[in-house]
Amino acid sequence: MEGKDQPADAGVVCRLREIFYPRSVAVLGVSDSPQRVGYNLFESLLYGGFAGKVYPVHPRLKTVRGQKVYRSLSEIPEKVDVALIALNERATLAALRECGEKGVKGAVCVAGGYREVGEEGAALEEELRRTARQYGVSLIGPNTLGFINNDADLYATFYPMRLPKGKVSFICQSGGVGLTFMHRAADAGLGLNKWIGVGNRSTFEFSDYLAFLGKDETTAVIGLFIEGTENAGQMVRVAARLEKPVVAYKVGRSEAINYAALTHTGSMAGSYRLYRDIFRQFGLHLVDSLLEMVACLQALATAPLPAGNRIGILTHTAGPSIVAADQLLSRGCTLPPLSEHTLERVRELTGPNPPFVLKNPLDVAGMGFLAEAYGKYLDLVAQDPNVDLVLAIYCQHKNWPFPSPEIIRARKKTGKPIIACYASRSSLCAEDRRLLQEHGIPLFTTPEEAAWAAAALVGWSAELKRRSKK
Amino acid sequence: MNPQDLLKKAREEGRTFLLEDETKEILEAAGIATARCYRVGSLEEAKRVAFEIGFPVVLKLRSPYIPHKSDVGGVALNLSSPEEVARASERLLAAGRRYDPQAGLVLQKMARPGRELIIGVTTDSHFGPVIMLGLGGIFTEVLQDIVYRLLPITAGDAREMIASLKSYPLLTGYRGQKPVDLEALEKVLLKVSELVEANPAIKELDLNPLMGYSTGTLVLDARLVLRQ
Repeated sequence: MEGKDQPADAGVVCRLREIFYPRSVAVLGVSDSPQRVGYNLFESLLYGGFAGKVYPVHPRLKTVRGQKVYRSLSEIPEKVDVALIALNERATLAALRECGEKGVKGAVCVAGGYREVGEEGAALEEELRRTARQYGVSLIGPNTLGFINNDADLYATFYPMRLPKGKVSFICQSGGVGLTFMHRAADAGLGLNKWIGVGNRSTFEFSDYLAFLGKDETTAVIGLFIEGTENAGQMVRVAARLEKPVVAYKVGRSEAINYAALTHTGSMAGSYRLYRDIFRQFGLHLVDSLLEMVACLQALATAPLPAGNRIGILTHTAGPSIVAADQLLSRGCTLPPLSEHTLERVRELTGPNPPFVLKNPLDVAGMGFLAEAYGKYLDLVAQDPNVDLVLAIYCQHKNWPFPSPEIIRARKKTGKPIIACYASRSSLCAEDRRLLQEHGIPLFTTPEEAAWAAAALVGWSAELKRRSKK
Repeated sequence: MNPQDLLKKAREEGRTFLLEDETKEILEAAGIATARCYRVGSLEEAKRVAFEIGFPVVLKLRSPYIPHKSDVGGVALNLSSPEEVARASERLLAAGRRYDPQAGLVLQKMARPGRELIIGVTTDSHFGPVIMLGLGGIFTEVLQDIVYRLLPITAGDAREMIASLKSYPLLTGYRGQKPVDLEALEKVLLKVSELVEANPAIKELDLNPLMGYSTGTLVLDARLVLRQ
């Protein structure tokens, strides 16, 4: 049978590790013009703070940013582990041979113009693949933005930047979506560990990158953006073997999009229904947007797992809790009634005739405006035996501080996962977000994201149970 | 003949698909209950077999050149007398011989009503062999209430497939209707999975319809396509 279950190739993991943790990196086709890709690959390495050796290479250029430029790879006196190739599709092929002769272990080929453009390009890519195999050079791309290993301050892309560090790694079949993800993640306070632009996947498949990240001790959660791959069977089998959650965003839902996907990455998008159902079969967490992707990764990287799917919501305004409830209920979560004991305690706290309805979501209205009172209600919801995970909704106010210390207290007291949702903006809740995250509480600024995050935790908890039964 | 021999024979004859009676033989050998097809060489034989298995019966065209029988008017359902068998036989052969002068007939017992289901296997360019389950008729064609899994599947996968259909409540006994034997359905899914795993030459396989009863299931029609 095709796509037979094979053990993750230890050799592949080893080769990828060499590329992601090199001691020296050369940039072939460097330039002194910030308008050129070659310049930006070089600057990206410096700006990112890579501690290893960096060698710019160009046949005529003398210096770039005050650093000596080598005329060729062979002129570099020391060993080079990784080469970033900023040349066109034909020159890239020649450069790859040079890499082989120099004993370079890995190369990143950013150039496009291969199988995504047609038959001639496909033949050229085949030659690229053959050359790489012949010399034992591992290839990322071609047709890629590159990769980032934030754990080693290695930014091997042509978009110089620095990103917050974290435990989340991302495998991406698009540079543009990758950049969108990086910025969104940074905005949301989500730290990145590794980012991989798979490009045309000449040497490494999704399954290889998954196996690598599965073994990578600094990665706890994996995100996957995919248009399509002819090795999808192997991909899901490897994903199901990792003891880490994989959140997947599959695009290309109509047949018409197949052509666009083909010309983008050299692969048809395939049937969305198949991907959806088979992701479910193998326990990948499927999301519908980049926003949901970031929210899920953030929750999985931050919060402990709930024992079950029963969500308790505390709010002081009904609307956001209804928005959250819609999302939760469509994603396998439930909103159980609070226990009689909890309701009794709520009455004790509020007085015999509370000015609100005693139910889940518990909307305590004006009684919850001030942090201290909000915290008392939160303790009660979190202690309720019917509740596995708590969603704490609160609205930013100029004169009323966020109930962050109270949320942290409830989290410590009950041990249950809590997700905070503040109607606020990143700039106004950055400090609270940092504080909450330190205590295993992810913070979101919309009820949808908070609900998606809760569903991801519930889903991974259920998946672990499902796997233990298999 | 065992499955391997049937698949080999078809290939030797230059065919890329198996005839209904051959496909059912393979399914039976795999432990999947089918409404058996009897090849009938003449009208007299058709009438005799009809009496033996009991009316009502179904008459279908049999030809290696006609993979989709119903598209050419090659299926006659619910024939309840020798006269009806005779008329249908004439009509079917007239239709079939436009495509294949050698076209013959098969006869099977008309199955009692139940819940129409579909199980399909196809080879996807991204995933390889995948299995599909749906409810028959409008549920699959209009509402697209179908579920896929990558082959091979486990018993847990089979259970989850069934339970994830939107029309699942129709299978568990909706408004006084008899529930479908879900354990039997689960077994059919698993046996199809095993059959395809053991025979990589199978590219496509359709059990359509597969009738679900309160006890057991029955394949009424089936087709099998081989890899090129």
